[in-house]
Amino acid sequence: MRLGMVIDLKRCMACYGCQMSCKAEHGTPPGVFFARVLKREEGHYPTPRMLFLPVLCNHCSDAPCVSACPTGASHYAEHGIVDIDKDKCVGCRACMMACPYNNRYFHDERRYYFGEAGPTPYEEICSDRHPEGVVMKCNFCRHRLAEGKDPACVANCAAKARTIGDLDDPNSTVSRLIKERGGFTLHPEAGTGPNVYYLAP
Amino acid sequence: MEIAYREIEGRSGAYWLLLAVLAAVTAAGLAGAWAMEHHGHIVTGMTNQIVWGMPHVVAVFLIVAASGALNVASVASVFGKDFYKPLAPLSGLLAIALLAGGLAVLMLDLGRADRLVVAMTRYNFTSIFALNVFLYTGFFAVVALYLWTMMERRMNRYAKPVGYAAFVWRLVLTTGTGSIFGFLVARQAYDSAMLAPMFIAMSFSYGLAVYLAVLIAAYAWSGRELDAAMLRRLKNLLIVMIAAVLYFVAVFHLTNLYFARQVAFERFVLADGGIYPALFWGGQMVLGSLVPMAMLAHPRLGAARGTVVAASLLVILGGLAQMYVTIIGGQAFPLELFPGVEATSSFFDGRIHPYAPSLPEFALGLAGIAIAGMIVVLAVKLLRFLPERLDARLGESS
Repeated sequence: MRLGMVIDLKRCMACYGCQMSCKAEHGTPPGVFFARVLKREEGHYPTPRMLFLPVLCNHCSDAPCVSACPTGASHYAEHGIVDIDKDKCVGCRACMMACPYNNRYFHDERRYYFGEAGPTPYEEICSDRHPEGVVMKCNFCRHRLAEGKDPACVANCAAKARTIGDLDDPNSTVSRLIKERGGFTLHPEAGTGPNVYYLAP
Repeated sequence: MEIAYREIEGRSGAYWLLLAVLAAVTAAGLAGAWAMEHHGHIVTGMTNQIVWGMPHVVAVFLIVAASGALNVASVASVFGKDFYKPLAPLSGLLAIALLAGGLAVLMLDLGRADRLVVAMTRYNFTSIFALNVFLYTGFFAVVALYLWTMMERRMNRYAKPVGYAAFVWRLVLTTGTGSIFGFLVARQAYDSAMLAPMFIAMSFSYGLAVYLAVLIAAYAWSGRELDAAMLRRLKNLLIVMIAAVLYFVAVFHLTNLYFARQVAFERFVLADGGIYPALFWGGQMVLGSLVPMAMLAHPRLGAARGTVVAASLLVILGGLAQMYVTIIGGQAFPLELFPGVEATSSFFDGRIHPYAPSLPEFALGLAGIAIAGMIVVLAVKLLRFLPERLDARLGESS
């Protein structure tokens, strides 16, 4: 089984629900967004349009971050999910240099949203999940998948623009969407084999 | 003529002052590393986009120069030029000292420097970084062995084969260092097979420049004789090495300019990228290459020791500028997530990433140079690395 995600750009309306639900799920420090939304303007008056491009870790089949990691902290987990073993990470940031999709963050020091006021009770709980001096990233919400739930960004997408499923199964929803709508990946020329596909708007 | 090596006296006030200055710079660097460890990288200019900063600029420079510093010894043993034999032990010492300085900086900049044991015991063999751990530690061992065969009379007969091994090792080591960047398929600045040979050429130039500056200073400060003919050959060699770097840099950028996807990056780094074109043209090309070449090639000025030292220092500064442009400039240019499309976000996408090195970063970088300096200053006092006098006839029959 190869887990992958399909994002329908036609459906995305930039509510930033994915961004915020991911943040709430993982309790990431200020400035860290495992899922973020890029925007792009297209066309000219009187027919301009705004496109929104949600991005996240592409969980590549041939991930350069996994190849670059000297200690094997970045690794392939179940179903091809790319994750980080935080106990093995030495904080060299080689993986961040290697990632073509800019979806890794270095957690250098605990920081909170309300500065000197200290952490909120929620931040206090969440910050324990993120050790300092190591790199962090999206892991397709492995803990939710283990419970049979969808990742937070998928479950909370108001427009149902995101679908997750088995890319190896030709009959899965993700495979059918890619086939019928001509799904594309980011930087296919890099040969990283991304497992996040986009459907053209 | 027999080569007589002897320790320097190292009793003068100037010697201890030099050692104290180097120790103070090292202490400042350790304080910088502590600040980065204690407060996080937020006290540096590094961000999630510029993940390698000023410490890496200095560290990579020192590692590249370390391999090149060994070149003088290689010329003697591998290429059979006995003329360079008396110069060889200092060459090996500098190689070890520079590598130690560079690695110290890299280690102290790790997010979890306390997990060094993990880095030394768990290896991902697809990672060039993991392979470099072997290459760097192996380099220490090979060069130490090489020094032993050169400095211990009974072992002299093994100097040539061990010299060959050290020469091959240093080529592989610099290939590994260049490949750290060459293998980065993600970034337009890197992802090129040209980087490995270019780093080898750079190592010859930087290493020889460091060697010349240290050699002249050591002989001037210890009041020993340094033959002009010997110096002439070394400075002529430096001209060739600078030219080799220029050749590789020209080919690298011209090749990039032929690829449509690289043009935007080349425009950034060569023309409109602010500090980066300024450092490239002003630092690396003019002050770091063309000016020292002209100084060294000048028939009258080039013969003066002061000129050779000044030219060597310019090559070193030019090398640091080159590293800054390569490492920081390469990260400052935004990753192109959607080729052909200008995408922005409320975070960092689609814009040039700013970087301003902070004091702790400068301190840590300088500490790498100071550590290398301390090793050399102490070693020449404790062991017989320097010939009593350097004459062009030395080593010819030995």
